[in-house]
Amino acid sequence: MTLSRRTILKTGAAAAALPLLGSKAFAQAEPLKIGFIYVGSINDNGYNYAHNQGRIYVEEQLGDAVETTYVENVPEGPDCERVLRELAQQGNKLIFATSFGFGDSVIKVAQQFPDVKFEHATGYQKAPNVGLYNARFYEGRAVCGVVAGHLSKTGKAGYIGSFPIPEVVMGINAFVLAARQVNPEFTIKPVYISTWNDPAKEADAARAMIDQGLDVIAQHTDGPAALQVAQERGIVGGFGQGADMSAFAPETQLTSIIDNWGPHYLASAKAVIDGTWTPGDTWEGLKEDVVQIGPYGPKVTEEVKAAAEAMRTGQIDGSVHIFTGPIKDNTGTERVAAGVTMTDAELLSMDWYVEGVEQPA
Amino acid sequence: MPFRLEKRQEPSRFMVYATPVAAVLLTMIVGAIIFTLIGYNGIGAVREIFLTPLTNSYKWQDLGVKAAPLIIIGVGLSIAYRANVWNIGAEGQYVMGGLAGTWVALATYNMTGPWILPAMILAGVLGGALYAAIPAFFKVRFNVNEILTSLMLTYASVQLIYYLIRLPWKDPMGMGFPQTRLFAEAARLPTIIPGTIVHLGVPIAILVAVLAWFIMSRSVFGYQMKVVGAAPHAARYGGFSENKTIWLAMLVSGALAGLAGVLEVAGPFQRMVPGFPTNYGFTAIIVAFLGRLNPLGVIFAGIVMAITFVGGEVAQTTIGLPNAATGIFQAMVLFFLLAGDILVRYRIRRVQAAVGTA
Repeated sequence: MTLSRRTILKTGAAAAALPLLGSKAFAQAEPLKIGFIYVGSINDNGYNYAHNQGRIYVEEQLGDAVETTYVENVPEGPDCERVLRELAQQGNKLIFATSFGFGDSVIKVAQQFPDVKFEHATGYQKAPNVGLYNARFYEGRAVCGVVAGHLSKTGKAGYIGSFPIPEVVMGINAFVLAARQVNPEFTIKPVYISTWNDPAKEADAARAMIDQGLDVIAQHTDGPAALQVAQERGIVGGFGQGADMSAFAPETQLTSIIDNWGPHYLASAKAVIDGTWTPGDTWEGLKEDVVQIGPYGPKVTEEVKAAAEAMRTGQIDGSVHIFTGPIKDNTGTERVAAGVTMTDAELLSMDWYVEGVEQPA
Repeated sequence: MPFRLEKRQEPSRFMVYATPVAAVLLTMIVGAIIFTLIGYNGIGAVREIFLTPLTNSYKWQDLGVKAAPLIIIGVGLSIAYRANVWNIGAEGQYVMGGLAGTWVALATYNMTGPWILPAMILAGVLGGALYAAIPAFFKVRFNVNEILTSLMLTYASVQLIYYLIRLPWKDPMGMGFPQTRLFAEAARLPTIIPGTIVHLGVPIAILVAVLAWFIMSRSVFGYQMKVVGAAPHAARYGGFSENKTIWLAMLVSGALAGLAGVLEVAGPFQRMVPGFPTNYGFTAIIVAFLGRLNPLGVIFAGIVMAITFVGGEVAQTTIGLPNAATGIFQAMVLFFLLAGDILVRYRIRRVQAAVGTA
């Protein structure tokens, strides 16, 4: 299935590029080989699916100028190192490592292949041939938080997290800050399941949360398992993560955060082809269209939709930043003074929870 | 039931050793057919998974690194299974070995010295053995099925990793990521071939297998294991204690799984991370059976399993085969092996309706 789809895409892209062939610029150069490694399956309909959509986008846009390969379900550990080396040996000159835990392996392999460019998503270790890229998912979380604040009847939400890293902590905080703007009593209970994708664990966590009376569930894991449970149990709702998951929970998905990596992958591929690639450190969000908000579900009323859209557009035009003080942590200490906005560096090392977050075990 | 399995008087010795080879060949043939039928390049899949890792010399280092823990754990399991002691929790003992080694590495973080690595290895071996002692104790004392206890303790050990790396052992430089710090130089397993990733664990694995073969075939211990497994009554008459055998089998298989764990954490990982349990302990069960519960056979079986892992990744990058294909091929090997074993040990007899007693 993968092969035929890729072939179809290639043929389609080649056809689309036919008029361009007059320029001859593409036709003669060796295609740039690009490798992608995913921590989960491209069929997770979430995070890894979204990265793979970005890969397909690059193929569509650049046609014969590129040749892409992906490896899925790569464990975060020495196995990842082997896959990276394999890709580098096969002549891939640009390699995207799309999960946080690939960091050590990327740095090790990058030293062995100085002529290969690596880009690591959501990481923090750079090198002369290792760039970083990330998306401001927290902006999307804030929009979800507004919806949750309005719709939750119990005022209690659950949040299924993978690991308590700043990336995840920041998302939880953005969600609850936005929800408390609507309902000051709103609280959230995070649970960490120590994996990015394990549908069984995600579903178990969702069930346990629903049994405890939480009626909204958000997740920072890769697939739609929690949403499916939410749909089954008929709670108020949940949110799609990485991609629109409404197919799995048509009534229950309130909205979704869509990761749109395509434009970034395209820009990096072009930079390598043009010889202008430098190890970047990008962190783009709603404004740059890297983070998108999917369609709102049937339970979201016009009024709530308007409030959510206000949060979305406010973050795009810069009038709203969810991490603007006063912000207290969950022990009651003021962490950010009124009117002060947290810096990116502070956000990227965030290891404390805001008021309203139950301290996870 | 129109057919019945009837035990053969004497299974063919040749067939006992030919079955694993036949299982691998059948897997290749059936795999090629299945993957062709569902629209992949089936021949290519088999070539990339089973041959490329062997023909591409650059992949040999990966085979060695991947096979080493499988061989070490597989040898331990083959000893235990010979004695009919079903230690299914090697994965948990592997984890505990890794954790014990990590503990030493972190405790000696600011020290140097050639004694650190041996101390870690010793701790790993003890960690694995002690963890296997729990099911052994329950089996001997209360006759609790060791399959259940050893398997379930695996999940407990994984939770212990999560606890330790989130709280007491968390990396101060890790941006909150649950992992320990990178081990100091003295706590890392050296590579033995410069420029490759082949570490000291690879020759250790071979050494372990050869030693185990020697002990199993030449010592009273080995004889005891085999007799208790093959003929428990005779063993009892012969004065071999069943309980002692259970203890020995569990401790030896646990110790070796622990050894694999500490070598893995000190070698390829060099720190404890949530992704440390990678199912080596479970795959080694296939390895032990594929190797005919013979330590030397386990070496070859470990390499075969390593080939499917490494080849599975090659097939993903070269012909777009999904990752799940690796698992399908591995499962097919085990299936054909077990099916073949049945046919070697039993014959299928047609049963007349009158004779058939349900």
